Formats: sequence, structure tokens, C-alpha cells
Amino acid sequence: MKILIVEDEPKAGDYLRQGLREAGYVVDLVDNGTDGLHQGLEGDHDLLILDVMLPGLNGWEILKRLRSKGREMPVLFLTARDQVEDRVKGLELGADDYLVKPFSFAELLARVRIILRRGRSGPEATSIQVADLELDLLRRRVTRSGKRIDLTAKEFGLLELLMRRQGEVLPRSLIASQVWDVNFDSDTNVIEVAMRRLRAKIDEGFEPRLIQTVRGMGYVLEVPEALR
Amino acid sequence: MLGRISLTARLTAFYALVSTLVLVGLGSLVVMATERHFVELDRDYLKDKVALIQKIIQESGPGDSLVGQLSGVLANHHGLFIELRQGEQVVFATRESVFPPSVQSSDASAVPSDWRLGEQTLRGMNAHFEAPLSSTPTTPPGPPMQVLVALDTAHHQHFMHGLIHTLALYLLTAILFSGVLGWWAARRGLHPLHIMKERAQHVTGQRLDQRMPVEAVPVEFADLAESLNTMLARLQSDFARLQEFSSDLAHELRTPINNLLTQTQVSLTQKRDVATYQDILASNAEEFQRLARMVSDMLLLAKTEHGIELINREPVSLDQEVLDLMDFYDAVVEEKHIRMTLHGQATVDGDRLMLRRAISNLMSNAIRYSPHGSEVLITLRDEPGPTSMCIANEGTTIAAEHLPRLFDRFYRVDKSRSHPESDGTGLGLSIIRAIMVAHGGSVSVTSDQGITTFCLAFQDNPQVDGDLY
Repeated sequence: MKILIVEDEPKAGDYLRQGLREAGYVVDLVDNGTDGLHQGLEGDHDLLILDVMLPGLNGWEILKRLRSKGREMPVLFLTARDQVEDRVKGLELGADDYLVKPFSFAELLARVRIILRRGRSGPEATSIQVADLELDLLRRRVTRSGKRIDLTAKEFGLLELLMRRQGEVLPRSLIASQVWDVNFDSDTNVIEVAMRRLRAKIDEGFEPRLIQTVRGMGYVLEVPEALR
Repeated sequence: MLGRISLTARLTAFYALVSTLVLVGLGSLVVMATERHFVELDRDYLKDKVALIQKIIQESGPGDSLVGQLSGVLANHHGLFIELRQGEQVVFATRESVFPPSVQSSDASAVPSDWRLGEQTLRGMNAHFEAPLSSTPTTPPGPPMQVLVALDTAHHQHFMHGLIHTLALYLLTAILFSGVLGWWAARRGLHPLHIMKERAQHVTGQRLDQRMPVEAVPVEFADLAESLNTMLARLQSDFARLQEFSSDLAHELRTPINNLLTQTQVSLTQKRDVATYQDILASNAEEFQRLARMVSDMLLLAKTEHGIELINREPVSLDQEVLDLMDFYDAVVEEKHIRMTLHGQATVDGDRLMLRRAISNLMSNAIRYSPHGSEVLITLRDEPGPTSMCIANEGTTIAAEHLPRLFDRFYRVDKSRSHPESDGTGLGLSIIRAIMVAHGGSVSVTSDQGITTFCLAFQDNPQVDGDLY
């Protein structure tokens, strides 16, 4: 998976490149609009991450010209301006997503993964399994080591999200948005509490512990590295 | 253009105009009355003369003696003209061809008519009567006689001239005087405005405590002064709030930045193991997230308070939003053993995301301050009156003096507590208020006997922007 980042602020660009590389992507970085358009036309990137305000050509202009040349790769905009008109304009031009600075890297990574996964999902799985934890999507049942675990509807949704995205660190904001449709930061520790309760049900009394807290980032469900 | 002319000039001109009109009217009346009086005097005088002539004719015999008698009688009447005719023949005339044909017509027999003769202006009238019977009854009487009398009105005109002259002079003086008087009165009357102007000149951002002298100005200005004072008071409190907000903002930002800086610099002073670095970075990340949230909350507030347009206006079912959010907060509510219940239902017109945020902030606020095992009651009311949503929680009663300020940014009841129980930004309630104002509604709070209740009130017509703080 190859990603092109067009970001004129050097520090931000470097960190983005580093972060995405460590997440397993091949990353190109350019710091102006003209090079961005050139690379976008010549390269074979699977995703473009565009800053809106750029020297040379701005992000919207790059997107417009790429689309007019028939390049249909997904585009994610980064911007410091949070105006509804901006958002609408970006989406009208055919952008796939939109992130307002400052954003958390976990959030960006999660969105990048969503975009790249789009359109390539195979036949819908009917069950997901991680270690001895099994999620039956049809009957909406959860078992661990063959033992039935009772979950509320929201707990089931939360676990489903974690299991579908196993190994990915999911930020709190993404969890709130995906599970509860709450698209703003709540000033309570409600996600922590919900996660603690879920953990109590599926991890307590079992080995290994699957739900991990990544401090400052979010949560991830995976088999701990040491055991793999 | 008229708006630019000074009030004093306008009042002065108005005074002068009114006195001119009044005096000119009065002057005209006097002139006209005098004129009419003269006409009456002249008519009586002329009639007297006609009667006198008639009498002379009646008493005198026929022949030349009449002319002699008339000459004798009229010799002393200077400025009196007489012509006596019998038929077409002029019997007697003080002067030739004095009377124009208009005076000879019968119209002039009742009302005197005026005409000019050389330099003189004459006023005259006529009278007809039968010729006197002769002493010998056998002789038939002569044809009817006509007497024409006229008067030189020079002395009247002289008088009128003098009168008009005097009146005009008086008029001019009076107008001038009333203008000056008007100017003086206007200046005196407007003096309170000057006082108010002087006061206003002293008002600056630092000196908003200046007030208009309500007691010292006339009643007409008292209202204005009162309104200005109210405005000043409002400005003063807003300004104070703004200043407080700036310093609060600086303080709110300084604390976490200071923590981050210190922590980072301390950890850089010597080599540490990976776990420590990870710990420090994670803690930094948390702090940064809080800062980022504060900034985006501030931006949302700034946007909302600058009168944003609600682009996504749609019917929003408040009960559905509350139920969704109860689902969201379910874990925390259960953990604290809080019983949260919803009563009633209501639908309003608004931006669903923003309303959801306002309700969420209310609920998290209620949950945060609810003691373990207490009850949170959410009540929706659709009819009658404006739609409202109230959320009541148990807990410490908030002192009355804090209530109106709860919605101020960063306002905390307990000033000493630099961090609230959770990682809130201190902007939650301000955001609720801003969202409600953007919806043309308001938010209020009461706290009594351990129950704190926040209420959102929606206007019947949400198009109108509210101004409730």
C-alpha cells in the first residue's frame, strides 16, 4: 500500500511519514502543491493525504486536476480550518475524508485504514475469531474458550469493532463515533468505563488478556506480542 | 442633509420663523383694520357732505345763488372735491374733470371708490336725488340731480405709511430678538447633552465605570441617560467578563504547557529506560489531547457565538437523542449506581449534531456531580408553552451567587480546584449556552435543597435569535 503525503510543514510531514511507515505503508512525502500534483499523476499511490493550504497549488486544486485527468485514488484532506463550507467543498470535489488539525495520529491511522479497506471487502464474514475468543455475528453470540459470555447490545458492538479492527489502535473518539454515533469529545471517561466493563466480561478469568490500553492513543484488541 | 444641521440652529430658526409668522399676521391685521376704519370714516364724511349739499340745494332757490352758496360753504373744506350735475349739465364743480366715469356709476353710491388724479389719490362717491320743487308749483321740476363728492386721502396714506414703517421696524427687531432668545434657550435646554458628552468622552475600556448624571438632566433626557447607563453597565460587565476570560484562557493554557515543558525537560536531563520514555510520552499525549480538545471547544464557541447559521436544520426528536445518549453514558451511570430516567417527549427544529452535543454535555455534567446511588431525572415538555428539557440531579446545592456565572467559560465554583474531577475543559456549559442561543433558545439553572436542575428552553419560533445570557 503506497501513500503520498503533500504537507508543507516539515515537522508534521516527517512525523506523518514516520508514523505511516511504521504502520506498514510505503510513504512518499512532498512539501508543495506542484510536486504533489506531479507525483499524484505519475506515481501509483493508493491514497493521497493532502494539506489544503500549500505553496504552489492548494489541495483542492490538486484534487480537481487529478480527477480531471481520470485519477480516482482516494484522497484524505488535512486542514487547520474547520469551516462547514470547506468540508462541503472538499467532499464535493471528491475527497474521501477530512481531518481537522490538531488530530490524533491514531485517528488518522484509523481513517486511512477505513479508506484503504473500502471496496475490497470480500464476502461478509459470519464470525470473527481472535485466540479463543469467538464472535458469532449471525446469532450475535460471544464465546471464550467455548464459554458463553453475555453482552449488552452496545458491548457487543464495541467488541465487534475491536475484533474487526484487531491489531489496530482505536482512539476513543473513533470508538465513540462508530459505536454510539457520538461525534464529539465527551468530557467524561465513559469510553474507559465501557471498556473496563467489557474487559471484565471477556478477559477476566481468561488468558491471555486481549484488550490492551495504549496510553495516550486508545485501545487495541490483539494477542499480546510476547505470546505470538 | 437636514440631519447634519445642529439642533441649536434648528431650534433658533424655528423660533425666528414662528415669531415672524405671528408678528407678520398681527401686523397685517392692524394694517387692514386701520385701512377699513379709514374707509368708514371717509364714507361717513362724504355722506355728510352729500347731505349738506342736498340740504343747501333744497333750501336755496333756483338760479345762480346755489353756486354762490355752495362755493361759500365749501370754501373752507380743503381737499374736498364736488361736482353737481343736473341731467348732463354740470351745475357746479370745484374743479374740472375730477371724477372718472366709474364714480358716476351707481355702484359708487354706497361704497366709496378710489382713484388717482395726478399726484393725489382720491376717494369718492355719488348720490342721486330729485331736483328741488320750485317755489311756484306750476313750474315742473328739473331733471334728477347727481352729486359727486371726493376726498384727497393723502393724510391717510401718510399715516398708513408711518404705521407700516413702524410695524416693519418692530417686526425686524422682534424677529432678531426672538432668534437670539431662541438660540439662548436652545443652548440652555441642550446643556445637559453637553454634560453627557463630556461624561461620554471619559469612557474608555479601562474606565467603564463612568455613568450619566440621571438626576442632573431634565426628564426628557433622563430616559436616554438611563438607557446609556444600562448600556454602560452591560458593557462593563461584558468587558470584565472578557478580560477575565482572557486571563483565564492564559491560565488554563499555561498550566498544562508548564507541566509538559517541565516534564519533558526533566526527562531529558539524563538517560532513562524505554518504559520511562514511553510513560512520559503517553502522559504528554494525554495532556496534548486535552489541549487540542480545549482549542477545538474554543473554536466551536467562537463560531457559535458569532451567530453561525444552522445549516442542517431538521426536526430533532429530543427523546430519541436522550435515549441514545443514555445508552452512551450507560456504563458510567451503572458504575455510579445512578438511576437515570426520562419522562415525556418533545421534538424541536434544529441542528441534530449540535443539540446532541448540548444534551450530552448536560448529561455528563449531571452524572459527574451526582453522588453514588442517586437519581437523575430528565423531563421533556412539548406542550403547552415553549418546548423545554430539564435535567435534575442530586448533589451539593450550588450557592446562588454562582448560578448566573456557571455558563461563563472556565468558570468554576471552587476556584481553588485547578482541575475538575474529570478531564473537562471547563467549557461544557458555555457550549450548551452558545448552542441554545444559536437555536434561539436559552439555558437556565436552579439549585435548591440538594437538587440542581438545568433547563433548556426552546423558542416557539426558532428562527429568531435569542440574546439570553
